[in-house]
Amino acid sequence: MNIAEELVPVILDGQVIELEKSAADLLKGPPVKLSIDGQEVEIPRATLTKDPVSGELKPRLTTVLDAAQKAGVSIPVLCHREHMTPVAVCRFCAVDVGGRVLAAACHRPVEDGMKVATAATSEKVRKAVGVLTQLLLADNQVPRKANHEYGNNELRNLARGQGISPEGSPFPKSHIDRGHDESSPVIAVDHNACILCDRCVRACNEIRHNEVIGRMGKGFTSRISFDLNDPMGHSSCVSCGECMASCPTGALTSRKMIESHLTELEGAKPVSLDDICSHPLFDGISRPFMDWNRGSVVRREFQAGEIICREGESGSTAFIIEKGSLEVFIRASLQNLETKPSSGFLGLFRKFTSSLGKSDAKPKQRFFSIDAPVSLLSSNPIAELTPDDVVFGEMTCMNNYPRSATVRAKTAVTLLEIRRNVLYLLQRNNKSKEILDNVYRKRSIDTHLRSVPIFADQFTVKEDFDKFVSLIREKARLVRLNPGDIIFRQGDTPDNFYLVRIGFVKITLKQPGGDLVLNYTGPGGVVGEIALMTHLAELKGKTVSVGRTATATALDHVDLVSISGQDFRAILESFPKVRDAMVAIALERLEDIKRQQKKHQHSPLDDFLRQGLMEARSLLVLDLEKCTRCDECTKACADTHQGVTRLVREGLRFENYLIASSCRSCLDPYCMVGCPVDAIHRGQKKEMIIEDWCIGCGKCAENCPYGNINMHPFPTGETADDPDHPGRKIAVLQQKATMCDLCESVDGQPSCVYACPHDAAHRIPGLELIRLVDGRK
Amino acid sequence: MLVQALRNIQEQFGFLPREEMEALSASTGVPLHRIHEVASFYPLYRLTPPCKGTVKVCRDMACHLKGSPEVLKSLQSIQGQLGAKELEVGGISCLGQCDAPVAALINDHHVYRGMNAEQLANLARLAAAGAELPHQHPDLSPIPWRINPYQGKAPYEALRQFVAKGLDANSVLKPLEDSGLRGMGGAGFPTFRKWSAVRGAPGKTKYVVCNADESEPGTFKDRELLRRAPCLVIEGMILAALVTGAEKGYLYIRHEYPDELQALQKEMARAAEEKLIGQNVLGTGKTFDLEIFVSPGGYVQGEESALLEAIEDRRGEPRNKPPFPVFEGLFGKPTVINNVETLSWVPAILLQGGAWYRDAGVRGAPGLRLVSISGDIQRPGVYEVPFGQTVRELLETAGGINPGRTLQAIATSGPSGGFLPAEIPINLLPPKFVKEKLPADATHLNILDLQLDLNTVGQMGGMLGAACVVYDNTRDLVENALNCVSFYRNESCGKCVPCRMGSQKLVDILENLLHGKGSRQELQLIADLGETMGMTSICGLGQVASNPITSVLKYFPQSLEKYLAPEANAKSPSAGGHS
Repeated sequence: MNIAEELVPVILDGQVIELEKSAADLLKGPPVKLSIDGQEVEIPRATLTKDPVSGELKPRLTTVLDAAQKAGVSIPVLCHREHMTPVAVCRFCAVDVGGRVLAAACHRPVEDGMKVATAATSEKVRKAVGVLTQLLLADNQVPRKANHEYGNNELRNLARGQGISPEGSPFPKSHIDRGHDESSPVIAVDHNACILCDRCVRACNEIRHNEVIGRMGKGFTSRISFDLNDPMGHSSCVSCGECMASCPTGALTSRKMIESHLTELEGAKPVSLDDICSHPLFDGISRPFMDWNRGSVVRREFQAGEIICREGESGSTAFIIEKGSLEVFIRASLQNLETKPSSGFLGLFRKFTSSLGKSDAKPKQRFFSIDAPVSLLSSNPIAELTPDDVVFGEMTCMNNYPRSATVRAKTAVTLLEIRRNVLYLLQRNNKSKEILDNVYRKRSIDTHLRSVPIFADQFTVKEDFDKFVSLIREKARLVRLNPGDIIFRQGDTPDNFYLVRIGFVKITLKQPGGDLVLNYTGPGGVVGEIALMTHLAELKGKTVSVGRTATATALDHVDLVSISGQDFRAILESFPKVRDAMVAIALERLEDIKRQQKKHQHSPLDDFLRQGLMEARSLLVLDLEKCTRCDECTKACADTHQGVTRLVREGLRFENYLIASSCRSCLDPYCMVGCPVDAIHRGQKKEMIIEDWCIGCGKCAENCPYGNINMHPFPTGETADDPDHPGRKIAVLQQKATMCDLCESVDGQPSCVYACPHDAAHRIPGLELIRLVDGRK
Repeated sequence: MLVQALRNIQEQFGFLPREEMEALSASTGVPLHRIHEVASFYPLYRLTPPCKGTVKVCRDMACHLKGSPEVLKSLQSIQGQLGAKELEVGGISCLGQCDAPVAALINDHHVYRGMNAEQLANLARLAAAGAELPHQHPDLSPIPWRINPYQGKAPYEALRQFVAKGLDANSVLKPLEDSGLRGMGGAGFPTFRKWSAVRGAPGKTKYVVCNADESEPGTFKDRELLRRAPCLVIEGMILAALVTGAEKGYLYIRHEYPDELQALQKEMARAAEEKLIGQNVLGTGKTFDLEIFVSPGGYVQGEESALLEAIEDRRGEPRNKPPFPVFEGLFGKPTVINNVETLSWVPAILLQGGAWYRDAGVRGAPGLRLVSISGDIQRPGVYEVPFGQTVRELLETAGGINPGRTLQAIATSGPSGGFLPAEIPINLLPPKFVKEKLPADATHLNILDLQLDLNTVGQMGGMLGAACVVYDNTRDLVENALNCVSFYRNESCGKCVPCRMGSQKLVDILENLLHGKGSRQELQLIADLGETMGMTSICGLGQVASNPITSVLKYFPQSLEKYLAPEANAKSPSAGGHS
C-alpha cells in the first residue's frame, strides 16, 4: 500500500469505516471460489474485523476455516477462538491444500481454485491430527484442583470426537513436573494441565489489555507465567477471570464462587451447572467461568399478567425464554406530539431536553423515554414473544440504555435470568453470538422504527403505521459505529438515510481555519436527509454544495438504522406526511447552517462535545466565579464515605465552570462495559452502584474516560499471617472500585453540593450546563 | 530495542536483575511479561547471577563424534572439586567450529576450538579463578576462492560499476538470473526472483536482512566469509538495497562468532568512511543504513521469520506462512532475507557475468558453492566446490575417510536431511529418480556416485545443505540419531505442538530404546510421529526434526535390532515413513 493512499468510506456488515483503497477493494472485490472436501464454496476474500490489539477496524483475510464453517464442514479447533488473533500453534485444524506440508485452516487465507481436504476425506490429515491429539494427551494431566468444576476439557472432547481414548496415549508420559500455583485467591493454576494453546495469553493481553500473562522459557520447558514469573497472586493480575474462561483444559480454574445476588430475587431458583451448560445458547461456554459466577443465572417463573420488566427501567439482566409466551408494550404516546421547529444550536438541545423527561417536562414525549418513570398503558401489545425468540432484555443489558419496552407474561412463563457478564461471555461464543445478533438486529430495527417521532407522528391509524413499519423494516439495516467513525463526509455522494438509535452524532461543516460544529443529534434523531431530498421543489436553490452538506461523525458507540437513498425517496413519495416532516427538518437545518456560517464566533459546542458532556446526566460543576477553593465539598464527601473521598476538585473546565472529577452518570456508561463479575450497575436514581462482590480488577476505573472511578483497598474482615512479624496477624485488604453514589444529604442534595458554603457546587445534567453557559453570554 | 537493552543490562550486571527489568519496563512502558518472555527465551540471557566461570561444551555432530560427552563428564568432576558456585559446566548447541572439535564457549564471550579434556580443564580452572583467558588467534588471511573477485585488488568494484551505470536494476537482476544463483541458506530460492519481488512490491519502506546466524550443526562456511572477506557480504547487501529500494539493512549475526563480528565491524567502519553506506551512497542520493544485530542466541533464529521476530524484539518464534517475508517481512514490510554466502557471490557474478558462475558447475548443475565438511574425514574444513560434484569427489577433496575405516553414512545437510548410507537399494528410492538417474540394471545407488546439486539430491528424497558430516563404520547411528534429535529438541522454540512435544517424545522414545527397553511398536510410533511433525510443524525445524531417526529406520533398520527388547524381536521392522 502506498503511504498516501486514498481513504474511502465503506459500509460492511453494518459498520461504517474508512479504509485505504486497496483494503476496500479487498473487501468489495469478487468472492473467492474454492472447494472443501469436494464441496464448492464461495466466500468474500476478506471480512472486516476489529484488531484486538489496536482496536482498529481492518480487513481480515478470509481463512479456510471461515470457508469450512460456511460450507458446514467441521474442522477441529483447539487454540483458535474467533475473537482472538489466530496463532495456529496447536495445528489441530490442519488441512491438505495440496502443499508440501499441511496448512492450518484457522490461519491460511483462502485462494481461488483452492482444493481443501479435511480429515473427513484425507487419511493423511486424519492421521496427523490423531497423532497431535495423542501427543497432547500424553502430558495433559487432570487439573490438580479437580474438586472444582473444570468440566468441558476441550482437548479430551476433541479426542473422543476422533474416537481416541483420552487415557490411552501411546507416547511416554512427560517426567517433568511443571508445577502449580495457588497463590491467587481466585484462580488456581496447574501447569501440568496446560497445553500452551496461548488462549489465556491472548485473553489477558489482547482482550482485556491487562498485560500480565506471557510464555516463559523455550521449547519443551516453556510454560505460561505472570509478569516476571511471579506467583499469580503476587503479580499484577487483577483476577478478571478472562484467562480462566478461555482455558480449554482447566489449567486455569476457579477457586471460589462469586456470590452475586440474583438468587435473592423473588421466586428465583438456582440452576445447576449441568443444566446451564446443556442449554443450546450455552454450547461452548467455559464451565469454570459459569462455576465462578454461579448465581449469575437463575430460573424464574411468572404467572400470566405479571410484569417482567418495565420500559424506562435500567437493568443489567437479560431473560432467556424457556416456556410460555409474553407480550411486549411500548408507550403509545407517539401520536400527540408537537413538532414546533426550533432554531439555533440551542434549539436542538431544547428538543433533546424534553426527551430526557426532566421533571418539569410535559408528559408528551418526542420519542421513547430514556429515563422517565413508566406506567403500563392499556394499548395493544406490539409483539408477542415465545421460546423461539430466545431472549429479551438483552438490548438494555448490552447497551446500558433503559428498557425500551415493557414485557408482561401472557401465559405462565419460565425464564432464565442472566447477568451482563454472562451475556458478555455469550457474545464471545460463536454459536451464541450468532443467535443473539440475529435477535438483536431484528428487534432493534423494529422497535426503533416504531418509536421515532418523525415516522410515528405522521400516523393516526395504528394499522397504517403497522403497515408502514413492516414495509421499511425489511429494507432497513442496523449499522454500528465506534467513537470517531465517520458516517459521511461533506461533499460525498449521498447513499443512505440514517436514524440514530443509540449514541450521538456530530455534524460539522468544513470552514477555513477548522471545522465548524453545527450541532449534534442523539437517539431518535435523523441524519443524512438533506442530500437525498435536493430533487424536491421545496429545497430547490436552498443547498449550495453538491452531495452531502456536512460531515457526520460518531461521538460514541452509535447504532444507526440505515435506509438506502432509493428506499428513502420511495417512502417520501408514498407517505406525504412523512415527506412534509422531513422537508421541515431539512429546511430548518439549512437555515441553521446559514446562520452559523454568518456568526463566525466562538461556539462552546465543540468543547462541549469534545468533553463528552452531552452524555452526562449528572455533572458536579463548580461555578468558578463563586468557588473559593475551600475544599468543603471534598471534605464532605470523605466524611460521608468512610474517610475516602470520591471526588477530586480538579478536572476539565467548560467556560466558567469546573467539571469536578466525580461520576457523570453517562447515558452510555463506558465503565459498565466488561466487568467480569457484573458488579457495576445503575441505581434507581442516576447513580452508579458498585456491588459488594466487586473483585477489584480495576476494569471500570480503566474504562471511565474521565478518571472518575478510583480503586481503594478495603478490609475484607479476614486476617492472614503477617509475613514481616511471624506470629502476628494482619487484616486482608481487597481492592474495590469506588465512585460517586449521589449520596443524599439532609436536603436531598449530595453532601458535596450541600456542603458548599458559596453556592458554587451544583449537580446538573450536561444539557443544563450548556444552557447556563449560553444564558451568561 | 528490548533485545539490545537486555543485552546491555547483562553486560553490566552479568545477568538480568529483577530490579533492572522492572526499571526497563517502567521507562519503556513494555509490560513485565513481555520483558520476561524475551529474557527467558534466548539462551544468551541469564536470569540468575552467573558463577565465576562458565564452560559450555558443544554437544553436536562433529564435537559429539570427537567425544564431547566424555569431555563434559571430566569437566563436571572439576566442577565437583571447585564447587558449583565457582564453576558452571554444561552443554551448548553447535558453535560452528566443527572443523576443529571439540569446541567450547567460556564465560559467554570466548570461543575455543580443537580442545581436549585436559586443555578445557585448564581453561575452566582459569575461568573459575577469574584469571584472564588466552585468546585463540583467528585466521584472517584473505580467502583464495573464486567467490572473492578482489584477490589483492580494491573491493566494492561491482558496486561502483553499478553506480556508474546509473543504478540500472537490470544490470544486476539480469546477471543474477543468468547465473542461476539460488539461496545458500538451505531453501534454494532463486535470488533474482527474491530481489525482483521485493523491488516490485508496493510501498516505500523495505528492508534487506542478511542471515549470518549460521547455527546448523556441521555448517561453518559463512564463518570464513564473515571473518576473512566481510567486504563481500556488505557489498552484496548494499547492492540488494539499491536494487530493491531498501534504506535500512540488518546483518543478523550469532553472538558466538566474536572474531567474525569484529572483522565485520572493522569492514563496516571502512565502508562508512568510503561513503558506501549511510546517507548519499557513493553520491547517488540514496540512503542505506546498515546495522549489525547480534543475536541473543538460538538455532531457530536462523529460520528467517524467527530472525525477523528477534529484530522486532519478540520471542524468536517462526511465523505462520503465508505471508512470506518478500511481501510482509520485517515490521510488516517487503524484505529481502539472504544468507551470507548468497550475498557474497553477487560481486563476483556481477564482475564476471552470470554465465561465468553458471558454467562453473559440473554435470549440468549451475554454479559454485561453499561446503563445510566435518566428522570422520581427514581434512575437515570449508571448500569451494562446483554444484554437480559427486560425493566421491567431495570426500577426495577433503582427504578421504580416515585410514582403516569405511564410509557408513553421510549427512548432506547437517542433521536436517538425516543419514544417507553407502548404498541405497532402489526400492527405497523414488521410482522417478531410479528411472532417470540410474543405469537400467542398477540394484543400488552407490552414494559416492550421487551428484550433489539441489535438484538431484531433492529427487532422490534427500536434502542438500552446506554441511557434509561423515560417519565411518565404527559409529553407532542410533546413538548419533539421538544426538541429532536432541539438538532439535533443545532448539525447538516451543511455539507449535508437533515440534515442541514431538521432539521431546522422540528423545524420550530413543533414550528408552538405547536403554534396551524399546519395542517394535515404538519404531512405528517414531515413523508416525515423524510424518506428523513433518507435515504439521510451522517451520523447517519441526518439519525436519525427526529426519535423523526416520532415516535410520529407513536406511539402517539393522542398526536398531540390537536395541529392541528380545520378546519384541519377532519380525523385521517396517520401513519408516520418511517425510
